[in-house]
Amino acid sequence: MTPAKRRSVIALSLCAAAVIAIVVLGVALSGNVVYYRTVSEAVKSRPSQGDARFRLAGAVVPGSSTETRRGVDFEVTDGKKTVEVTHVGDLPTLFDDKVPVVCEGHWAADGSFDSDRIMIRHGNNYTPPKVKFGQ
Amino acid sequence: MSATTPSTTERLLNPWVRRVFGAAALASLVALVVVGLFVAPPDAVQGDAQRIMYVHVPAAWIAYVAFGVTSITSLLYLWPRTRSLVWDRIAGASAELGVVFTGLTLVLGSIWGRPVWGVWWAWDARLVTTAVLFFLYVGYLALRRVPAATDVRAKRSAIAALIAFVDVPIVHFSVTWWRTLHQQGTVFNEKLDAEIHGTMALALWLGVLAFTVLYVYLLDLRYRLEALDEDRETRELDAAIADRVRGAVGVTS
Repeated sequence: MTPAKRRSVIALSLCAAAVIAIVVLGVALSGNVVYYRTVSEAVKSRPSQGDARFRLAGAVVPGSSTETRRGVDFEVTDGKKTVEVTHVGDLPTLFDDKVPVVCEGHWAADGSFDSDRIMIRHGNNYTPPKVKFGQ
Repeated sequence: MSATTPSTTERLLNPWVRRVFGAAALASLVALVVVGLFVAPPDAVQGDAQRIMYVHVPAAWIAYVAFGVTSITSLLYLWPRTRSLVWDRIAGASAELGVVFTGLTLVLGSIWGRPVWGVWWAWDARLVTTAVLFFLYVGYLALRRVPAATDVRAKRSAIAALIAFVDVPIVHFSVTWWRTLHQQGTVFNEKLDAEIHGTMALALWLGVLAFTVLYVYLLDLRYRLEALDEDRETRELDAAIADRVRGAVGVTS
């Protein structure tokens, strides 16, 4: 092979490798690019979802959570739809009323959501605790 | 090139400037510890865990900067008019630092995620693309070690560096392009609507400053080490050739 030919072969194979890498990345990520579904989206896709796993995101409805022997029952809402969640497992330290959560699990037969993993989705605001003067 | 006098390309900064950078890095890191751990208030939601931000964000920032420097110097090497091994050395030294700081970003992010998110890792777009970034540049560093003639090795590393850099904007915009568990940026936020308390912002900027100065200092050290390494290899080759010429092939045990 002449040097010029060899160079073009190397350049082409590098480009091919880059394209393959991008495709692999795209395929690998496609299922996860949408990391979670909002409560409304999840409710809408419930018929086609079956009992396949997905992540459900919403805020904890204040006063809805009750501890159970194996975890906690609570409701999540996105302001439009609300879903009952039966969680079995540990709770993140920051779990509380109104906190945005991402629950991993699947739909149960009775229309509630069976979760076995809860993650807190915090925002990008950082402030010191506010001092409250009796409300 | 004479073997005894060091060439001018053996260092980036003159020793005096380097010492200033070293002292500034140390001083700003001490200031960061004080402000980050004691002066800045704990976060209303996350408590003390939020303080990890003061090192996690600067580490990610330096990873971007380091890979940016690698790309620019790789371009300067590929451009025939500016071709010089100085650019190639800076590209390699900066990529090494970039890999270290990307690794640091991942580890610190994980340590931050466990108390706040509740998990060490999440397969969301930001975390995955950052891990890909780490391995892309580990691959780049491996490619630099593949034996070849100096100019061949430098040229193919430069091309690989430019391909790997494609992931940097993807990492940065992943939180706005896709839905992620990772929160959006606070400083480089498109809508500029994020809120950060004044002292917290000060700690964050101090972290960025300290890591940037540290990066320049380490880049200079790594560059000198690379130059000395190359110099040693050249000398060893010269000595070996001289031995052959004399017909006395030295056998080393």
